[in-house]
Amino acid sequence: MSEGIDVGSPDEIEEGTAKVVEPEDSGFDEPIAVFRTESGCFFALNDTCTHEEASLAEGWIEGDTVECPLHSSSFNLRTGKVLCLPATVDARTHKVAVEEGRVVLYPGVDADDAARTAD
Amino acid sequence: MSSNLDAPRRIVILGGGVAAFSAASELRTRGYDGALTLLSPEGLPYDRPPLSKGYLLGTEDAAKIALVPEAWYAEHAVDVLAERAVALRPSEASVELGDGGLLSADRVLIATGARPRPLAVPGGELALTLRDRADADALRDALAPGARVVVVGAGLIGAEVTSAAVGFGAEVTLIDPIDPPLVPAVGEALARRLHAMHGQHGVRTIASIPVEISASDGGGARLLRLADGSAVAADAVVAGIGIVPDAALAAAAGIEVDDGVLVDASGATSNPTVFAAGDVSRLRRPDGTLTRRAEHWEAAVRSGQAAAAGMLGEPPPAFGAPWFWLDRYGVHVEAVGTLDGRFGGRVILREADGVPQAAFLLADDGHLLGAAAVDLPLLIRAARRIMDRGLTPDPAALADPSVPPRKLVP
Ligand SMILES: Cc1cc2nc3c(=O)[nH]c(=O)nc-3n(C[C@H](O)[C@H](O)[C@H](O)COP(=O)(O)OP(=O)(O)OC[C@H]3O[C@@H](n4cnc5c(N)ncnc54)[C@H](O)[C@@H]3O)c2cc1C
Ligand code: FES
Repeated sequence: MSEGIDVGSPDEIEEGTAKVVEPEDSGFDEPIAVFRTESGCFFALNDTCTHEEASLAEGWIEGDTVECPLHSSSFNLRTGKVLCLPATVDARTHKVAVEEGRVVLYPGVDADDAARTAD
Repeated sequence: MSSNLDAPRRIVILGGGVAAFSAASELRTRGYDGALTLLSPEGLPYDRPPLSKGYLLGTEDAAKIALVPEAWYAEHAVDVLAERAVALRPSEASVELGDGGLLSADRVLIATGARPRPLAVPGGELALTLRDRADADALRDALAPGARVVVVGAGLIGAEVTSAAVGFGAEVTLIDPIDPPLVPAVGEALARRLHAMHGQHGVRTIASIPVEISASDGGGARLLRLADGSAVAADAVVAGIGIVPDAALAAAAGIEVDDGVLVDASGATSNPTVFAAGDVSRLRRPDGTLTRRAEHWEAAVRSGQAAAAGMLGEPPPAFGAPWFWLDRYGVHVEAVGTLDGRFGGRVILREADGVPQAAFLLADDGHLLGAAAVDLPLLIRAARRIMDRGLTPDPAALADPSVPPRKLVP
């Protein structure tokens, strides 16, 4: 699956917040959170925390991390890497780009940063 | 401190809880490449908070509550032995196992946690308690629809067990002399709101204490006599009245213990080769005064990490304000810092439709000492940053439910 889907115009997602794209809209089997950092960058991760069931889109977004709203595990938004307990499994990344004034999500395509840092 | 000791090559960690695991993980993160063994009598380390939540309710299984997938231990060269230590032999640089065998160790971390405080009344041993997975399995069997369940102690664990029992359709009575409990942890207003949830869910609450439990017939039924003269019949009694640190090994080895193994900020005990972390430990400040034991998950993680640094002779990391959460009846409560107003400060409430949603304790100089909130996790993440950055928040903004949490942190 490499077809991009239009998530909206950049200003539809406020800085420091995220928007959830549901499986019926993305074709991907899990909800995806598209984050906009305070510096205006876009990143996307599987929305459900790898620990329990919280929505990462409802977490605290700061710098290039998101902190889970339930038990405070943090994830790197670029790479999906989990940064502290209780979660121990990385979050899956998805490629997102701003193309011709639209935020375009590529569900199921790893973010470039994830590929670069995967070890 | 340990600067005159050689760098460790064989570290043995006693315990398979989150303090033990965090220490092991932090040792490897810090580049320790010597031998590393976890003595974990219950096998691979697992997480305890779900034992009164998803695991007790049956929505999470044993695999789900493992701290990390099994492969992690091989990848990080951590040997997990499902064995109990029976003695510390620091002078011989070893730990004694149940079969009399010795495991050599040039540093030992005691992370043996705590045991439930026994109910010290005649028949108190008839009460179930909750600390490990086997306890949770036994308790789940007892929480049947229609079963008369009496929970003694309405603190963190007692209240979560009560909520789970209600979920199973049991008929629950909750006994605690303090009404409401948890005031120092979440403040008076939220403590009242949370305690009232029991009654709203059909639980009978009694402000008393049991003085005797008896097996009222040949079957499993119990009779509790209470200090107020009343009696309650039960099919199962559960006690959640606090914990006692499992510090016997340290005491037997001549290490200083006072309601917990005494440690400094890097987990060092009175023996330079022995460290302690988690619920078993108690921090002694540099001025010699003792703190209250923390008894929360994050504190166990942090103290495990600090002890890892300590064992390597490195300074412990700086940690921010302490944090914990609890869940009951589908609400999620978090608190950071302290809400214990006995030493001063003023309380600011954030209310919606007259119902308290969050409480803040502000010091006289305007700094935030603590915050607690029901189902407002971002407010606590904001409070934590305000505290850790030493900011002085605007009290009116704290109280105003229309101010989003992010706007509180400049
Ligand atoms: C039911 C329950 C619910 C909780 N819910 C929350 C919550 O919602 N929020 C929160 O912040 N905190 C919660 N806590 C508290 C938190 O889980 C504890 O603070 C934390 O588990 C302490 O970790 P620990 O590693 O110090 O001890 P433990 O987790 O108790 O681990 C101790 C380990 O030592 C082992 N051990 C004991 N004796 C020996 C020996 N002689 N040799 C070798 N190993 C030994 C034990 O088998 C165990 O593996 C809860 C605790 C419980 C029990
Ligand atoms: S659900 Fe995200 S840390 Fe627990």
